[in-house]
Amino acid sequence: MLQYWTAILSEAAIFAILAMGIDMIWGWAGDFDLSAYAYFALGVYMTIVLTIGKAHSPVTYVFGWHLYYPLAVALSVVVVVAFAAVIGAIALRSLREVYFSITTLGAVWAIYYWVENFTPLFNGYNGVYGLFDPLGSGLSYNTYHYLFFAACLIILLGVYLLVSRISTSPFGRMVRAVRDDESAASVYGRNVFWAKYRTYLFGAGLAGFSGSLFAAYIGAFNPLDWKPTEIFVLYAAILVGGRGNPKGVILGSFIVYVGFVELTRYIPSPASRPELGPALRQILIGLLIILMLKFRPTGLIPERLGGDGTEGRRSWRTLFTKSPQRDAEPDVVIGALPASGVEAS
Amino acid sequence: MSIFWISIGMGIAVAAILALSSVAFTLEYAVSRVVNLAHGEVLTIGAYAAYVGEMTFHLNLYVCALVATIFGAVTGMALNFFLIERFRGQKALSTLIATLGASLILQNILLIAFGGASVSYSFNQGNLLHVGPFLWTTLTIRVIISAVVVAVLIYVFLQRTKIGKALRAVAQNRELAQVSGIPARSVVMRTWATAGAVSGFAGFLYGETIGTITPSIGNGFLLLSITAAVGGGLGRPYPTLGGALLLGLVMSIAGTYWSSSYQLVVAFGFLVLMLLIKPNGLFVRGKAQTVRA
Repeated sequence: MLQYWTAILSEAAIFAILAMGIDMIWGWAGDFDLSAYAYFALGVYMTIVLTIGKAHSPVTYVFGWHLYYPLAVALSVVVVVAFAAVIGAIALRSLREVYFSITTLGAVWAIYYWVENFTPLFNGYNGVYGLFDPLGSGLSYNTYHYLFFAACLIILLGVYLLVSRISTSPFGRMVRAVRDDESAASVYGRNVFWAKYRTYLFGAGLAGFSGSLFAAYIGAFNPLDWKPTEIFVLYAAILVGGRGNPKGVILGSFIVYVGFVELTRYIPSPASRPELGPALRQILIGLLIILMLKFRPTGLIPERLGGDGTEGRRSWRTLFTKSPQRDAEPDVVIGALPASGVEAS
Repeated sequence: MSIFWISIGMGIAVAAILALSSVAFTLEYAVSRVVNLAHGEVLTIGAYAAYVGEMTFHLNLYVCALVATIFGAVTGMALNFFLIERFRGQKALSTLIATLGASLILQNILLIAFGGASVSYSFNQGNLLHVGPFLWTTLTIRVIISAVVVAVLIYVFLQRTKIGKALRAVAQNRELAQVSGIPARSVVMRTWATAGAVSGFAGFLYGETIGTITPSIGNGFLLLSITAAVGGGLGRPYPTLGGALLLGLVMSIAGTYWSSSYQLVVAFGFLVLMLLIKPNGLFVRGKAQTVRA
């Protein structure tokens, strides 16, 4: 039982980091990115091919180096960010909102089919495998996983502190100002593209980093593990916890991961219908997304603005009051930007 | 050279179906300002409805097509009633995310109902015919003809009927249309019924053409429909039609000279190219600027 919970909670911690990355892009900058799961997957793939050594026929993949794990993580994140820089430059340059989402949706499926069919990259459909005990500690399987869990929690705490620091920094407020009113922000001298682009790259970097952690956890990866539709679970988690609030996002990730894994474990999945359990889980995720959007778009812990902490303390109480407004976008102007009468073309 | 013409022939068949699907998609956007990511599931529902009609009730080809159309229309109306209208007045992005949730729900209900294994119709494919430089089966020809007929019907519907005129007015400005005495809510509902019917029919044609039906065929086709609609001009039926024909041809040529596994990669390349050069749509006049929905 202990091993079971360690496994679930490690996974939840890793996905909480990924959710924080996605939340930077969607919650802070307002760009509904559907390709973030590809950055996560790229992080996993890169970490594996950089640590497991040369490929043996018939398995084929790029690099095949035998790097020290932390070095591989760093290199993977660099590759993911470079990759996101290309997609982000295309999608963010002059496209917003729905057009941005469509572009990233196209990107993620194109990448997915490419990776699945182009075997020299990551061995195509069969995927890559073989990473275990990345630091070469020689521990037993159980001890390794307990230590890994502890490491995940510590890393999650570190990432949380970093992200919430950025969230309340002038940069975090500026990104939200750009999200709420691009014209006003650009009149006040903010570079809209650059603000969104930097947030995008940071979010993608976090996604890649969480992928690197996941690589050490799972050890093998193939296209079946990263159907682009899996990203909806993360958006459900963000919506439940509270979009734009790192604390809420972590809470939401744990609720959705632990809750759904536990709930769907008890759905009978007869051998003749193996798809029943996962399908019901997806249906619940879809319902959760729609209901949260409709009835509590700000989530359990709404976005905290201002940065002096006073709003944050009050926000817990909003759990028991009616949501202030029905709009998905928290309608609070940060940095007191006058939004009226300013039109930039 | 002959392979080239055969692939163009297949491209025309796919493009014809794509045209129907993307015009339906664009009509939904026109009246409700929503990118309906559950659009693909309407196609899938049409395909499966016809499958059930054929397998369980032994209906003939034409009745099956009618069943697919009716189920598509009902799904379209249900989507509008239970989802789109509930999210009216919210940001386009919120509605998009909600349709994403609906897509997830519908797709998995189909998965539970029909299982993940692919099924297929057993209609007679007919004879192999040489038409000019093309190589088609009788069934493919019927698919192309019926798609053209439906496209013409949509044109007549939009241009010549009162409801079509009302639809165009609502697409331009819903509030203003309402003030002018047009019952906007019912026009929107009828548009969704029409779009759903066309999608359900397109789903049936698609299932018939590619031969296998799975719960996710519509979802794969969704991206192509979006690409065609955005490439041509989102929310405008005729530019969308042009975009669909162009995309169908590009994909079939790429499929011949490269690999059909990379079709979506090609489609995405096409989409990016369109968005970078003419974000408002290939067949729409106007200069490129920051595009938001």
